[in-house]
Amino acid sequence: MLNVIDYVPGDTLLHRLNPVTKLALAAAIVAATFLADSYPALIALLALTLALAAYAGVFGRLARLLKVLVPIALIMLVLQTAFTRSGTPLIGFVTDEGLITGGKACLRLLGVALPLVLMLMVTKLNDLANACVEKLHIPYRYAFTFSTALRFVPVFSQEMNAIMEAQTARGVEYDTRNPFKKLKLMLPLCVPLLISSVSKTDACALAAEQRGFYLRTRESCYRRYPFAARDAVAFALAVALIVGGILL
Amino acid sequence: MAAIIEMDGVSFSYGSDAAHALDNVSLTVEEGDFVGIIGPSGAGKSTLAACLSGAIPHHYTGELFGSTRVAGYDTCDVSLTDISRTVGSVAQDIDAQMVASIVEDEILFGLENFGVPHDQIEGRIAHTLETVGIADLRHREIATLSGGQKQKVAIAAILALEPRVLVLDEPTAALDPVSSSVVFETLSDINRRLGITVIVIEQKVALLSSHCSRIVVMDRGRIALTGTPHEVFGASERLRAIGVDSPRTVRISNSLAACGIAPDATPCLNVDEAYRLIAGLVKDLPHAASTPADAPAPSPHVSARPHAEGASPVLELTGAGYSYPNGGASVTDLAMCVYPGELVGIVGQNGAGKTTITKLLNGLIKPARGSVVVAGLDTRETPVSRIAAHVSTLFQNPDRQICKNTVLDEVAFGLELTGVDSASARESARDVIERFGLPATEAPFSLSRGQRQMVALAGVVVMEPEIVLLDEPTSGLDYRECMTVMETVRDMADHGCAVVMVCHDMEVVSDFAERIVVMANGRILDRGPARDLFADAALMDEASVTPPQVIELAARLARDVSPAFAGITEVSDIVRTVKELMGRA
Repeated sequence: MLNVIDYVPGDTLLHRLNPVTKLALAAAIVAATFLADSYPALIALLALTLALAAYAGVFGRLARLLKVLVPIALIMLVLQTAFTRSGTPLIGFVTDEGLITGGKACLRLLGVALPLVLMLMVTKLNDLANACVEKLHIPYRYAFTFSTALRFVPVFSQEMNAIMEAQTARGVEYDTRNPFKKLKLMLPLCVPLLISSVSKTDACALAAEQRGFYLRTRESCYRRYPFAARDAVAFALAVALIVGGILL
Repeated sequence: MAAIIEMDGVSFSYGSDAAHALDNVSLTVEEGDFVGIIGPSGAGKSTLAACLSGAIPHHYTGELFGSTRVAGYDTCDVSLTDISRTVGSVAQDIDAQMVASIVEDEILFGLENFGVPHDQIEGRIAHTLETVGIADLRHREIATLSGGQKQKVAIAAILALEPRVLVLDEPTAALDPVSSSVVFETLSDINRRLGITVIVIEQKVALLSSHCSRIVVMDRGRIALTGTPHEVFGASERLRAIGVDSPRTVRISNSLAACGIAPDATPCLNVDEAYRLIAGLVKDLPHAASTPADAPAPSPHVSARPHAEGASPVLELTGAGYSYPNGGASVTDLAMCVYPGELVGIVGQNGAGKTTITKLLNGLIKPARGSVVVAGLDTRETPVSRIAAHVSTLFQNPDRQICKNTVLDEVAFGLELTGVDSASARESARDVIERFGLPATEAPFSLSRGQRQMVALAGVVVMEPEIVLLDEPTSGLDYRECMTVMETVRDMADHGCAVVMVCHDMEVVSDFAERIVVMANGRILDRGPARDLFADAALMDEASVTPPQVIELAARLARDVSPAFAGITEVSDIVRTVKELMGRA
């Protein structure tokens, strides 16, 4: 089973950047998305993310995520237009101001989620954790916690799927079309999921300790993550993006 | 050789008022041994492993008495990290113990932490991958590997640290027979070539008997028996009382010894030894080569139920096919019928499409081609929740099925879902719970693994379904629990329920299923009476299925020694045939 945030192997420039640089670049796009306040700027940032994804060969994967995100963004748009009462009314409860701010909120949601996911797609989790420890001096235990949490996402979603299948086969109506009923039926599943999560987490902690987790220092890592010229270029781009975000 | 592990009078309980999980255990393991630990569930096997690896006292809390010395140091005096320099352990849950997403990184983790000089790291990784035989997997993502491959990665990650002892807790529980024996061959190889002491907890007796130099049998927190495989399995009556299975060949040699035909010195641990024993006994008898086979007595497990002659099938697959959108075991052109009162086994390697068949049958996936009709309902037109009233599934892992707070609620839940009113659902549930001897008011999650499987089974029985599907019903269960589950299922078949089971344990399949379906690569290779198909060596080979020991033995004896052995599937028939041949001499 493949997951949206799984690493996609490749040899593009984006893959070869230092993980810290990639993190900075993604953070810069996110920051610029928050700072920018015009439609052209927001759309340009989104287009940049999608172009980078296409270049790295993960556009298809990112599009799968878009399928989930776009409906959420549309719900936000509807809520925004419903709650914004200022401006001139257009149709029904929709005002022009509501539509404009709502549209921006939509674009921001996409503009924040996509760069981070893209970064995870082109970076191995271990490299990200190790590079953050080496360059940013983050204590290893935090980096490990973060990467393990991300790694467990697909494990838990598989577990959840298996539990839902087992419950469906017993006759619980997960195949109902009513989403509220489905949600209500899903609540009891928290018990088996929680129990298996706790035991998995405990097993993971024990296994890590038995392989010398507490001995690890910043110098332990076998691989080194030096910055190269391309990283300097990427950092310059990141700064430019933030400045652009402030100006536009 | 010197002792690497010495346990002296060790007792442990997981809480001051809990029962002793280990009760005054003393055990010495010599360096270079290959020790197998076996016992019924709840016997304290995992607790013993936790003591050896230092997880007790450093990770699990409880009351500990006695002393455990690893390489001369008391485990209470040194840290868990220092113990693990000597003792590497591989946990039961394969997925949970992984720390990386790429094979290479998984092996790097421990090497980096223990400060192996960086100029030696490359050599260690390459050498370890070579030793375990997974050099080609080095850059693969762990999530895309099969269960057997993952298990080898877990072993390699520990082996790279060059421990002196390797402790494994049920390393083959989630694997098919072929991958299981590959894992044990890897362990044997490590043990022989590198001299690493291996201690393995395992339920599969055939694997233990052929690889271990020493076997420890545990029962209720104590060590009941210990010795070489020949010594331990020689006491098969004692093992049976404890609830531990013996290889079928051992049962044959012990039965022959009991009636004075064979020398009672050494039990036969595998088909080769049994073949030599029996061939030696009967080969020179003048009439052996000419005695024809009797009509073999029907298996005592497969009851002579009135087989539904002329009845219409309760389950029908016609040209059914399905492929997963993301790739995965797809199936094509499946055709089979199951009649009421039949017990059908589906066998094949991992990835052959067995689980996909069960999902097609309970409606969880709909056929892309062809049709699946269960109890008169076309699964493509019926929601799963409605099919559930006719088809009950017992899953491999009971914890995915259980979601209620008491056993009673849990067992009644399925009935209530089909619209039975709460009072009568509870009435029926109470009956079944009583029959199974389960505690009705307890929380299912506080019970043992085997009991949870029984709760899940009770939930299936109470539904009185027309069809029961079993997906690996016996994995994770000990021998006695396994027999209880299978006998319950056979009872249901006797009452007219059709049973379809997917199972890796060929001994169980040949004991209980009258028909089998052999699968490989998403196709049905053949289907028919279990004894005929198991005896078809070419078919078994094509499906990578190891036939049950008795059938393999009978086929070899029939071919080389005497036709009297043809078609035998039961231990008792082999013994009887040998006696008859000897008696006529």
